Amino acid sequence: MDIYLPIAEVSVNWPLLVLLGATVGFVSGLFGIGGGFLMAPILIFLGIPPSVAVASQASHVVASSTSGVISYTKQKAVDYRIGGVMALGGVIGALLGVELFRYLRLLGQADLAVALSYLLFLGAIGTLMLYESLGQILRRVRGEVIPHKERRRPLWLYGLPLRMRFPRSGLYISAIPPFALGAFAGVLSAIMGVGGGFILVPAMLYVLRMRASVVVGTSLFQIIVTTAMTTILQAGRNQTVDIVLSTILLLGGVVGAQYGARLSGRFRAEELRAVLGLIVLLVGIQMGLELFVRPSDLFAFAPGIAG
Amino acid sequence: MIAALPPPPPTIQAPAPERSAATTGQVRVAAAMTDAQVRVDSSFRGATIVLYGAVFNPTDAPTDVVVVVRGPDAPVRLVKKTRNMGVWLNSRPVLFEGAPGFYMTASTRSLGDIADFGQLRRLGVGVDHLRINAPQESRTVTRYGVRDVVVSRLGEDYLDWRRAVIRLREAAALYNTDPDGVEFVDQGLFRAEIDLPAVAPTGQYFAEVWLFQDGEPVSVSNLTLTVEKVGIERDIFEFAHNRPWTYGILCVLLAALTGWLASRIFRRS
Repeated sequence: MDIYLPIAEVSVNWPLLVLLGATVGFVSGLFGIGGGFLMAPILIFLGIPPSVAVASQASHVVASSTSGVISYTKQKAVDYRIGGVMALGGVIGALLGVELFRYLRLLGQADLAVALSYLLFLGAIGTLMLYESLGQILRRVRGEVIPHKERRRPLWLYGLPLRMRFPRSGLYISAIPPFALGAFAGVLSAIMGVGGGFILVPAMLYVLRMRASVVVGTSLFQIIVTTAMTTILQAGRNQTVDIVLSTILLLGGVVGAQYGARLSGRFRAEELRAVLGLIVLLVGIQMGLELFVRPSDLFAFAPGIAG
Repeated sequence: MIAALPPPPPTIQAPAPERSAATTGQVRVAAAMTDAQVRVDSSFRGATIVLYGAVFNPTDAPTDVVVVVRGPDAPVRLVKKTRNMGVWLNSRPVLFEGAPGFYMTASTRSLGDIADFGQLRRLGVGVDHLRINAPQESRTVTRYGVRDVVVSRLGEDYLDWRRAVIRLREAAALYNTDPDGVEFVDQGLFRAEIDLPAVAPTGQYFAEVWLFQDGEPVSVSNLTLTVEKVGIERDIFEFAHNRPWTYGILCVLLAALTGWLASRIFRRS
């Protein structure tokens, strides 16, 4: 049941990979995220070289996000206008990120960058989500009235030039913040091999204050464009995309994503957020642990050969 | 040393007519492999190749067989983790050259018993005698009035670094030392197994079969082995390296198509 991956140059058990793809796809459909932050650590754990894992699973994110965007488009829950602005930022961010990652690999510091970004971003986002959603659940259980939050956006959003109208999101703001947000997600996409949904969704909800119904669909659209760009760049610059690996992953992934999306309607939003927050936090801690635990071997091979 | 010789078999009598039958020149080794080509396809999970051979030894002195298999050179970059303010960080990577991507020795006894250190070093037999070094780290200095002394910037740690290359490759089953790997199945007939793991690099492998007598190499037989990707694996690999941009775009299109198909299929059902 093993299959030899031509680019990764290792042989792996393929039913296990299909299962992994399905599980991550299920999670991504359930929570409306790309699921990349889960996939990359597991692939590395299975013995696939980190650079190949990060690059190959980006195309898995493309597939699961595509089927997500199609179903959200039918529900008119994608704002292509603001999504386009963010995607433009994402493409530029991905260009920067891939070059940055190459440079870090040459320095031998790619592991550190990956571990640190996982620890920082996943740790922070996970904690925030968990805190916010648990508070909400607790208040509901106690029967307290949920205080109506101020729906006021930060004032600096209005102070910036290049204002654009985004009717579907109910926004009339400068194009710079969504562009910058997209660019930031693009850099993360290249370094961590993630779509960046876990950053995008909270930022779109709490900073940009977009209409909640279009947030997930729009973030998925931005993720497709960014990760597609990342995949092409990784293939072109680093030759680290394994088409066999990504095909196996996405076969399971698309099926899982559909079931996840169907199931998501049955849960309350804050419960989903609490579980997702916990998963995000755990992955962040797991990846960050390697910075603090004494390694079993002090020496390690650094990927890539310096020219 | 050699008292009474049995009459040499006629088949091997022809060569070496100028020497007397008692010289070691007639002690010979011949070897062959079951496969001279290993094909890496989608079901590749590593391969075992049997190397077999014969020792012709008309003398009384016992002989030892050492099989050395060396893969294509694969330089490595190595980092050392050091603790800085409670956090384990990678050092600057150090490039080591001269490390083959695959290296194994199999012998009848442990190498140290077969020949002495100097002899093994000269022949480059055994993982300890591989010419692995970090040329970019070394420079020549004049020390105590002696010119052109090679020192390494890695300093005292240098041997630790070098040993780590070997240890990490051994952990990946790429380097292997088996002191009982050569097994005599019959009088003068031996076999050894070459275990290639799935991560073995592709390319040309060289096998040397050494015959030692009294700590001296008396005969050697050279063989080659080719490990290559075949079929769809090779096509994908070459496509990804020769036309990387087209390949990347194709990967994305395939992914998007799969996503679209899935949403179509699931809407109907």
